[in-house]
Amino acid sequence: MPWMNLVVRERVKSIFKDANVQSDSKSVRIEVPKAKLLEFLSYLRQKEGYRHFIDFTCIDFPEHPHRFQGVYILYNPEENERVIVKTWAEGGTLPSLEKLWSCARWAEREAYDMFGVVFEGHENLRRMFMWEGYPYFPLRKDFPLEGIPEMELPSLTEVLEGRTEPPSHDYEIMHTKVATLEDLERTEKARLKKKAQLVLNWGPLHPGTHGTIWFLFDLDGEKVVQSDIILGQLHRGMEKIAENLYYFQFLPYTDRMDYISAICNELSYVTAVEKLLGVEVPEKARYIRTMFAELQRINSHLLWLGTGALDLGALTVFLYAFREREKIMDIIEGNAGFRLTTAFLRIGGVHYDLAEGTLDVVKAFIKDFPNRLKEYHQLLTRNRIWLRRTKDVGVISKEDVFNYGLTGPVARGSGVPYDIRKAEPYAAYDEVEFDVPVGEVGDVYDRYLVRMEEMVQSLRIIEQCVAKLEKLPRSAPYINKDHPAVMPPKEDVFMALEDMVKSFRIVVHGESAPPGEVYSSGENPRGELGFYIYSKGGSRPYRLRIRSGALYNLSIFPKLIEGGTIADAIALLGSIDPVVGETDR
Amino acid sequence: MVELWISLVITFIKVLLILGIFLGLGAYLTWFERKLAGHIQARMGPKLVGPFGLLQPLADGIKLLTKESIIPRNADKPVYYLAIVLSLAPSLLLFSVIPFGPRLSIFGYEIKPIVSDVNIALIFLFAMGSLAVYGTIFSGWASNSKYAFIGSLRKSAVMIAYEVILGFSVLGVVLLAGTMSTVGIVEAQIKSGIWYIVYQPVAFVLFLFCMLAESGRVPFDIQEAEAELVTGYNVEYGGMRFGVFPLAEWYLNVMALSALAVVLFLGGWSGPNILGPFSPYVWFVLKMFSLVFFVLWLHWTLPRFQAKDITEIAWKILLPIALLNVVMTAVVLYLV
Repeated sequence: MPWMNLVVRERVKSIFKDANVQSDSKSVRIEVPKAKLLEFLSYLRQKEGYRHFIDFTCIDFPEHPHRFQGVYILYNPEENERVIVKTWAEGGTLPSLEKLWSCARWAEREAYDMFGVVFEGHENLRRMFMWEGYPYFPLRKDFPLEGIPEMELPSLTEVLEGRTEPPSHDYEIMHTKVATLEDLERTEKARLKKKAQLVLNWGPLHPGTHGTIWFLFDLDGEKVVQSDIILGQLHRGMEKIAENLYYFQFLPYTDRMDYISAICNELSYVTAVEKLLGVEVPEKARYIRTMFAELQRINSHLLWLGTGALDLGALTVFLYAFREREKIMDIIEGNAGFRLTTAFLRIGGVHYDLAEGTLDVVKAFIKDFPNRLKEYHQLLTRNRIWLRRTKDVGVISKEDVFNYGLTGPVARGSGVPYDIRKAEPYAAYDEVEFDVPVGEVGDVYDRYLVRMEEMVQSLRIIEQCVAKLEKLPRSAPYINKDHPAVMPPKEDVFMALEDMVKSFRIVVHGESAPPGEVYSSGENPRGELGFYIYSKGGSRPYRLRIRSGALYNLSIFPKLIEGGTIADAIALLGSIDPVVGETDR
Repeated sequence: MVELWISLVITFIKVLLILGIFLGLGAYLTWFERKLAGHIQARMGPKLVGPFGLLQPLADGIKLLTKESIIPRNADKPVYYLAIVLSLAPSLLLFSVIPFGPRLSIFGYEIKPIVSDVNIALIFLFAMGSLAVYGTIFSGWASNSKYAFIGSLRKSAVMIAYEVILGFSVLGVVLLAGTMSTVGIVEAQIKSGIWYIVYQPVAFVLFLFCMLAESGRVPFDIQEAEAELVTGYNVEYGGMRFGVFPLAEWYLNVMALSALAVVLFLGGWSGPNILGPFSPYVWFVLKMFSLVFFVLWLHWTLPRFQAKDITEIAWKILLPIALLNVVMTAVVLYLV
């Protein structure tokens, strides 16, 4: 994606004298003092058209006098340009942006939760993932990776038989803190002040939530007066883990974020890292990546279709969708060796060459799938009950798309043609033809249609990839093993001395990345999955921020459901389609 | 005195027969439904227990009966148990006024294959149908759970709306037959030679709607809505206490209402004599199960309505149609 162009940069410099504009091939970064921040951002939003809020995060520099730096990433939908705005949190505080962008509320809560930066003017500065009363800020550099062992959690044997000396088995007695029931109750009370008749809990485990999210609904009869979401039940501290791993080691962790579309996550991640390291990817690898990412997208959309229909009571669609899903799973398993968390991509290429016969299977799938899609359409699209449940439910206006930083099918359902595959083509997306379907009204039904059409478009892309891959010779390289930061494929490691030494060096010392900043994102089935990597050089990222599409898409849920019924909530949630592994990370 | 004893014994035998047959059928309907659902959904359904999975209902029954049943700590215990009785009893009592065949005489005694041929049979049916809502409400209230409570409230809203339409849709048939006795209605259809579905197609469709709503089948299964309410009003019941609810609502109620539809609109046991003395019963069961099949088919195909939509459809669309239908029938009857 192009970054802020020179004309605007000069204009910004002339208006804001103390703005420090830096630009290189990877990004454009503008540093402004804290006092000018709100003024500067509202200027960018109103005058320069940077309306779409992409992400906000903090970076911890313990040796710097102000310590925390806030990083805002904004997007200009007209010019298709991005910019990074930075500011130092003087005195440990930053002004809140909730007046400018509503979704900044959640991003700021997350920064508060992880760094302890206080936001002035935030209406409800609560913890995002950790529970109320948790005393630490985990993403600070002085917080140890393994946590602070301070809580005694006895094993069941100990409870029953008493502690023995020596201990019955080898384990640490002291653990890092976990939330108690009282903590959770306090968290719940802090989130929602009861206004109406009864507060209904959905979750943390509930069949309608598709994972471990905790919804609170304040109900007046069937009507939802207000609602809130408690996240964090699946929070694993991915960003903290990433800071302590080599670049290639973090790749399998990305599978575990949005576990429905693992290959898409990997693709976003390796694209970002390759940008940082400057790795060229061979043509064959790019096409394999594109094909599998699109297969994964169909796979993910099928899961959404099945569960979404199941939520609305159409039980049969669920099993039909899973039948097709199974075929895709087979293709992925045959190539990557795993069904769900594949770890198939590598920095610089893919792990394996295409397995024999893959293209035939994919071609058979391409031939068969349109008929299946027709079946789904017959069951649902013109079904009057389906229409009644989905039409005019949860309408998202175009303005709200920018305001809440919505991306993916949720944004496109409201008529915003924001698709990273077009805006900033990665892998082979600039070499294949496809259309971006958009909705008109922005209700649940439009999002349904958009996703259904996306499956057709994905099929188109896969078809082109197959045609291209058939032409490429079998001996074409599938990984760019000449680059010093790319691990050679395993069969070379066992056969050639140089490759073995190189593999050994990377595994032990990691890739050495140049210092710099990269923000790169991929179009996931659940929206834009972005990786902001701040590298100080060396083999580990200094800070790796994961911009989760599902989290930002979910942030509009409490607003949309106000005034709806509890049955609307389930339809709406299905259409937003969050995956908790990605929202919580 | 002897007469009385004999009639009592006969009635007792009839009651036992009905209980045995329909509880058994209810259990085997689970097998049928699972098999049907399996084939609709491109899978096999139960097939491991016994030939074609035929022993599956027995296995399920044993499982349900031997399960530990957990009662919520703050449950209202008497009402909690009463709810089970109140949901099962009305759906069983529905069968008591359904005639399965013509009169027959055994050893000189004339026997009607109906438990009690009363002349207010239809009113009795409505009474029992309305009573069933108490089972739902009590179970939702007594189990002290928000999900169950919301589910039972939804169900009672639906029941109230559809009882009214049920009454009006049947009224046309009553006008035509001139009696409220179920036996009388069937005999009137046989005498005139035309099933009432021909005279009352609108009423039949309305009746089907009500049948789905009363028995809580898709697309009206809002009281269950497993995605929102985690199966709703029966969420706090376990073991056979839980098993009773689907049995009563999904199976016995569907069968009873299908049988009623057969009696009212499809000429009861009438049909060509193909199997000698068993022919009427075979016809009755065939018609009944084709309706049951229709309900199951819908269940595994359609999505579900919202609570507010269901009541809206009932009061705003179905009720005016039903009223119009009754008035038209009355006017036509008066003129002819």
